[in-house]
Amino acid sequence: MAELLNFVVWLPVAGMLAIALIPASQENTVRQLTLWLMIVQFVATAVLYVNFDSSVAGLQFETRVPWIESWGVSYHIGLDGINILLVMLTAFLGPLVVAGAFSAITKEVKLFYAMVFFIQFAMMGTFVAQDLFLFYVFWETMLIPMFLIIGIWGGERRIYATLKFFLYTAFGSILMLAALIYLVWSLQNATGQLSFAFADLYKVRLPVQAQTLLLGAFALSFAIKVPMFPLHTWLPDAHVEAPTAGSVILAGVLLKMGTYGFMKLGFPLFPDATQLYTPLIMALAVISIVVGACLALVQTDIKKVIAYSSISHLGYVMLGLVSLDILGIQGAVIQMVSHGLTAAGLFFLVGMIYERCHTRDIAAYGGLAKIMPVYSVFFAIMTLAAVGLPTTSGFTGEFLVLLGAFNAAWPLHVAGSSFSLVMAVTAVSGVVLGAMYMLWLAQRMLFGAVKAPHLPLADINLREKSIMAILVVAVFWLGLFPQEAMRKTEIAARQYQQMVVGAPAPQRTAEGATPAVAAPVAATLGSTR
Amino acid sequence: MNWENVVLAMLPEHLLLVGIVLLIVLELVSDRPRGALWLAILAVAAATAAAAFLATSGYASAPFAGHFSVDPATLTAKALLLALVLPTLLLSRDDFSETRFHILLLSSVYGVCLLLSADSFLTMFLGLEIMSLPVYVLVLLAFQRPEGPEAALKYLVLSSAATATFLMGVSFLYGGTGTLALTAFSQALGSPNTMAQAAVVLVVVAFFLKAAIVPFHAWAPDAYEGASVPVTAYMATVVKAGVLLAALRLFGTTPVGRPMADLLTLLPLISMVWGNLAAIRQTSFRRMIAYSSIAHAGYLFFAFLGAGPGRFQAVVFYILAYALMNLLAFASLPRGSDDAASDRLDSLKGLYQRRPFAALMLGLAMLSLAGIPPLPGFIAKFLIFKNVIAAGYTVYAVLGLIGSYLGIYFYLRVIQYAFMSADAVSQPSNERTLALSASVLCLVPAVLVALFPGWFIGLL
Repeated sequence: MAELLNFVVWLPVAGMLAIALIPASQENTVRQLTLWLMIVQFVATAVLYVNFDSSVAGLQFETRVPWIESWGVSYHIGLDGINILLVMLTAFLGPLVVAGAFSAITKEVKLFYAMVFFIQFAMMGTFVAQDLFLFYVFWETMLIPMFLIIGIWGGERRIYATLKFFLYTAFGSILMLAALIYLVWSLQNATGQLSFAFADLYKVRLPVQAQTLLLGAFALSFAIKVPMFPLHTWLPDAHVEAPTAGSVILAGVLLKMGTYGFMKLGFPLFPDATQLYTPLIMALAVISIVVGACLALVQTDIKKVIAYSSISHLGYVMLGLVSLDILGIQGAVIQMVSHGLTAAGLFFLVGMIYERCHTRDIAAYGGLAKIMPVYSVFFAIMTLAAVGLPTTSGFTGEFLVLLGAFNAAWPLHVAGSSFSLVMAVTAVSGVVLGAMYMLWLAQRMLFGAVKAPHLPLADINLREKSIMAILVVAVFWLGLFPQEAMRKTEIAARQYQQMVVGAPAPQRTAEGATPAVAAPVAATLGSTR
Repeated sequence: MNWENVVLAMLPEHLLLVGIVLLIVLELVSDRPRGALWLAILAVAAATAAAAFLATSGYASAPFAGHFSVDPATLTAKALLLALVLPTLLLSRDDFSETRFHILLLSSVYGVCLLLSADSFLTMFLGLEIMSLPVYVLVLLAFQRPEGPEAALKYLVLSSAATATFLMGVSFLYGGTGTLALTAFSQALGSPNTMAQAAVVLVVVAFFLKAAIVPFHAWAPDAYEGASVPVTAYMATVVKAGVLLAALRLFGTTPVGRPMADLLTLLPLISMVWGNLAAIRQTSFRRMIAYSSIAHAGYLFFAFLGAGPGRFQAVVFYILAYALMNLLAFASLPRGSDDAASDRLDSLKGLYQRRPFAALMLGLAMLSLAGIPPLPGFIAKFLIFKNVIAAGYTVYAVLGLIGSYLGIYFYLRVIQYAFMSADAVSQPSNERTLALSASVLCLVPAVLVALFPGWFIGLL
């Protein structure tokens, strides 16, 4: 099966080379070929997902081949409970992105699909890499195709947006590069072993001061990608100017690399520093939730609303990760996938209306429910999923995160420190604000007097319906049956918790300090624990 | 003196010399010599093959003991530099048909070869001068616009100042130690003696001048812009590499002590920052590359902070990645009859629509120079900063990395012009086969080096 994982990772490269051989005039061949290869990639990933054994800790489908032996770098990839869902999400969105771009991308078609393959390769590689050097290479490589996707096929201010995106993210990575070299060098000094493997690096326990600096360097890079307040300013520009496919990739997968980085590297590598700075990270996460939601409330551009909502939603992921409660951690992973689905769906919907009317101004629309009924149904479903309506994936993620945050905060509150509790309560307000901006957006666009820049407006076609239907199914699937996904992540989540906390978290129920609110809910979710 | 050794150890040099003599004869017997380019390519290829063959067979000897010696590592570096001349020659077809261009270029390459094997200051001086003198003429030969002679003169004057500084330093060393052997330099590095220290500083400054490190860089932008594409490519790659490898020979594997380490870091650091910032403002491609090369010289001198064999590996690897990508960029440039116009960055607009392959190659080269993975430029940068951190200079490494970050913007701007801007002037597109083969000649080794860096480092 390890070959299958390699196949999944390298298939896009083969696709890129295949596209290069097709004459530029045969645009439809390029489109079809890309779509089919992406579907093949998805099927292969699904096979991996099904065969992933959720009762075993550690890596599965592992490949480890020395790459640069003299530096201790190896080509080391594998799946574990943390990346399996994200790999699945990446492969799932691939064909949808390609299909969604069929009518929108008409210039430099060949280069576009080559770049979609390229970014798919880089994202897959980042998620499955188990070697820090390899991870960094994939992590940075990703900038190249995204830079071109926004810069060539983007909107009016695309150059500004894409340069801002590139320079912002590259700055974070440059310090991470210094930090990772230092970390590996410390490992070599301490044990005489020169290795970039994650598993070896977890063993290094540096003094807190060094940990703090290194965490700072890693966190800067990851926090820019997430993005966390106050490093979020590149995101609205990049989202607004990117073509639909770019926005979907950005919101669907790229942003998760930041949170994945925190979960896989940032926090477990530097546990002492993480514990020391948990209040700060928590505060930033909550500020991201609230500020992102408030900013989304005042936007006049549809894409910007969704862009700011992404900041808010990823704040929950961060909150779940630093809560260090098992439910919170699992919720964070579910929230990553859920946001990947809902944000992708919303960006597709915006793209569809933009293709028809060429404006993203909310005020230009109204009463779409009357003229585009199918579109409006999908819009409403995605809106509700983003709000976190029960039965949708958004509910599972946000709910578990908040539960975890309260679970972790209550004992501290009882012990006399109410900071975490205040943070958790503040985070709940994000849910309310989220409902406000999303429902208000839906209300202004779908209801009221019929208004659109171009009338009559055709409803979405079969291709667009299929894309949205697939996403809707996934959203409900994750909302109704989260156990399956949670089982896959459970062991890894516990490992992560253990690595950061150092010892298994005390059973709160046994202490008798169980918060009254959490107890019954925890019981209902007991099967997943 | 063992004649067999003299013939064998200097085989690459001899082959170059044969090529030069044949080119002169060709110039004498025919008015419009044909095949001069191919003769030059043949001579360089033969020299490359000879150096590579000697290197792989583990040949080491010192035909002129104390002055000139070869060993496998030296021969590998020599073979690499000679191989870099090949794409430069392929590039030159459009600009130069005169035989004198090839004669001068090969003479300069001869100087580089000498430089790489120098054991004494005497040989090093000879190598530096034989390398530089033809380049002044080459800059002038490219004379297509009024600034040409001015650029050549500036280069000549400042380079002579470097030579004078170098000689001054060497005479100090000789006065102190009574020897011209290069080992005197590495001994002086750690010496508390004022005269020895002054000598070290003077020699280092001479190398800074030759490698265009701030504040001794002012000649480079003018010379690069004033020369023509192949000459600029040659200066930016082979000459710069020769200077750095000569400096490497001076420093050997001796660790650099604290006061010297600061000098070796401070000016290169300023070079990175200044080179990268000044490049942003340029409108001429070659001038931009000049500032980029000032910054890259900065990174290269950073490698001297590390000690041991890692220093040699880092410098050679970096030079290879940097030179290949520079040559790739030059090979992809659009070329028109008006040199000044086709040198403007604006002329790159819409390059992708006109010549997709060239645009992709140019983009690749720019990203690699900016040090973005997975391209070879990143691995080279990584190797340098890994050594700097391993030597304990973490703060310098962080500053250096931030300095390198400043360079990303102007490289991206080239890509922006080539890919994201509409075609400004619709020029007829003609893929030039020789430039194309030059790109392939650079691309293939670059890809191999990026995929299997471990294999390549093992060679060094």
